[in-house]
Amino acid sequence: MKRTGFLYDERYLLHKTGPYHPEVPERLEAILQGVSGEGLLDQLVRITAAPAELIWVHAVHTPDYVKRFEAACRSRHPTLDSPDNQMCPETYQVALLAVGGILETVRRVMAGELDNAFCAVRPPGHHAEAGRAMGFCYFNNVAIAARYLQKQWGLHRIGIVDFDVHHGNGTQHIFEDDPEIYYYSIHQHPTFAYPGTGREFEYGRGTGYGFTKNSPVLPGVGDDDWMQLIERDLVPAFTDFKPEFILVSAGFDAHRDDDMSDIKLTTECYSWIMKRLVEMSRAHAAGRLVSVLEGGYCLKRLPELARNHLEILLNG
Amino acid sequence: MFVSRSMTRKVVTVNPETTIFEAQELMAKHHIRHLPVVDESNRLVGIVTDRDLRSALPYRFFKEGINPSDKEGFQNLKVKDIMTRKVISIPPSYTIQDALLVVQNSKVGALPVVDDEGRLRGILSVRDLLRAFINVLGIGQPGTLLCILVEEKVGQLKKIVDAITEMGVSFGSVLVARYWDENKRAVFPYLLTQNVAQVKKKLTAMGYQLVDPMQWYIDQLPDTDRPPDKPAE
Repeated sequence: MKRTGFLYDERYLLHKTGPYHPEVPERLEAILQGVSGEGLLDQLVRITAAPAELIWVHAVHTPDYVKRFEAACRSRHPTLDSPDNQMCPETYQVALLAVGGILETVRRVMAGELDNAFCAVRPPGHHAEAGRAMGFCYFNNVAIAARYLQKQWGLHRIGIVDFDVHHGNGTQHIFEDDPEIYYYSIHQHPTFAYPGTGREFEYGRGTGYGFTKNSPVLPGVGDDDWMQLIERDLVPAFTDFKPEFILVSAGFDAHRDDDMSDIKLTTECYSWIMKRLVEMSRAHAAGRLVSVLEGGYCLKRLPELARNHLEILLNG
Repeated sequence: MFVSRSMTRKVVTVNPETTIFEAQELMAKHHIRHLPVVDESNRLVGIVTDRDLRSALPYRFFKEGINPSDKEGFQNLKVKDIMTRKVISIPPSYTIQDALLVVQNSKVGALPVVDDEGRLRGILSVRDLLRAFINVLGIGQPGTLLCILVEEKVGQLKKIVDAITEMGVSFGSVLVARYWDENKRAVFPYLLTQNVAQVKKKLTAMGYQLVDPMQWYIDQLPDTDRPPDKPAE
């Protein structure tokens, strides 16, 4: 059994999004409920959050954007940049706590205090661009963690796997010219899903060309095709790249019961993905893997998905 | 919407006395396939395309490259000898729609844009037209496309737009396409949001049929080319 971290902080519930919005605090409560049964929680190392230092936020986001976000919350503005990004006065502080919690988790893995971890955070991050909030995301949690690994811990090969059903445009753009950070995303085809990026021919730019890989998936697809694409596109890429650390943008919205997409994965497929990622982390990264929550909106399925996710980190 | 806004203004041109080797070099250097031919007063007198050049020169020149000794037999060949003289051109006042129809009917890849005096003002390529439509489709702006099947009668679009607007969702574009049933239209709202589940629920509750994404189409092949399996409704 491994030393698996579980980041959860009640203050992540304080980010409120308003009516008609699927990115709700109940998502985290469902996850906690799933993790709480049958003694699982006792086997995990609980982590709570402290706000991130701005120096790390600025490693990804422009100071102007960070200031604009803070000011919008202080003046109680209901949205940031897009009507999708509904927020409340606490949102800025909660977003800083999400980043801070993730960086502490990553630090513990690098310091050898933990083998791997799952970070149940809100708000999510992978759509956030360097200077723009998008698609329910404010700070790009995973991107900041990757920069932290690069700058604080001197890693030169960081692998990001994004299996949220939407393409992580923010993460891809932030690292598109960086050959040290490999971004892989599998998602519903951009013609049929938000945000409209992540096409097969997007491979990165300049010196980062070849360090971005996208697997767009057509509507209606289920487990078999999804798994085949991961075997075909991700596994060989990481065998070549040999990441020293794997960061996961874990979105559970490709589940067949999640109405945010037309992809129809079963709960078992999510377990398969996680087992595969844990194997890859063992093969290349001495087991170092930190998974961070992105989307996933089916409150009925999130408990079992989170539970399986953590059990695989612990025993897989 | 006018051609003058979408055309390339700085046109690479040749004159009738240009050798075809010079013309070929210009095409390679600028990555273009059409060279309008103009006289001293910039009046359009013809056009040469990469196909005209290929037809005029031996195949091995393109396959193996040209060495100086090869050139000799063709040194006297000029643009005026191979150019198309009856050029299909359009005026700057044409609209993008005009240009699309001209391209479709004439099967050319680029249209010189010529003013009333016959002077060359620009060139509009199929690529320029594509750029305009990439913009219209809203590709590159984050959002989600839906497809709703509606009866072809007055007021359908208003109901859809109202219902979506009431949810605080804004539109990147709305396309309306002919459908395979004569009395139906396919409406494609491009919504500037990730949050479409609620929109879909509401439209379904209103009695609209959301089309399975794998059955969407915005184009219809001519009858003879159409696949036999019409999508089920």
